[in-house]
Amino acid sequence: MIGIVEADLERFTRGDIQAFEALFREYQGEVYGWIIRIVHDSGAAEDLTIETFWRIYRARARFDACRSFGAWARRIATNLALEHLSRHRPEKPLDSVFPIGVPGSGMPDAAIAADVRAKVLAAFDALPAKLRVTVRLAMIEERPYAEIADALGISTNGVKSRVFRAIRLLRKNLEKRGVRP
Amino acid sequence: MNEPDEALKDLLRRAAPGPADRELKRDLWPEMRRRLERPPVQIPWEDWALAATLLLCLLLFPETIPAVLYLL
Repeated sequence: MIGIVEADLERFTRGDIQAFEALFREYQGEVYGWIIRIVHDSGAAEDLTIETFWRIYRARARFDACRSFGAWARRIATNLALEHLSRHRPEKPLDSVFPIGVPGSGMPDAAIAADVRAKVLAAFDALPAKLRVTVRLAMIEERPYAEIADALGISTNGVKSRVFRAIRLLRKNLEKRGVRP
Repeated sequence: MNEPDEALKDLLRRAAPGPADRELKRDLWPEMRRRLERPPVQIPWEDWALAATLLLCLLLFPETIPAVLYLL
């Protein structure tokens, strides 16, 4: 990260608003990008980004300036995104959240039959929020397990265990719906 | 991850890929600034007094707890 040095982090921990502004401007995009991966909603991601920095500001005295600010911010953001997912089950039809598109465009693959897609999305949505986030980060976004572990505040083995449990649940649910991946 | 898990992963990625646009479109600092400047919520002393009275009543007359819960 450019521009942010340990002295800025120390000034931030003492409540210096200019140092906080510098940190905010430096990391807002990164935090937003992390949250939108989890919540898939730009409006909610913006609100959660603000909330993340609000909590960061309130907890500034507990921050150790020798540690990574980005990792700390990511952990707070992940907790908030998880809370958001637990509170808000998707109300929009799944097709509006994941519209059909072309492969590689960030849109679902049009080659998958609509009913299979609907079943996969329903099975994914039926997972508990913690497993959904872990699956999204590990299997869809393919983030390193160590990074996911850090963001979720658990061990790498904890991430592996969640992925294992999620796969088992997804398979069971998909088999019930007649889909065998 | 073994081979069948890779198939499931592939299915998931094709059905529900990550959002294509992950860029923040606007600067959120003005909103953050407003949030920082918002005065903290102050609870009037009357509310504290009312809560304390209610707590005291519940401690002195615990048999009223079901009635209070019913009214809530």
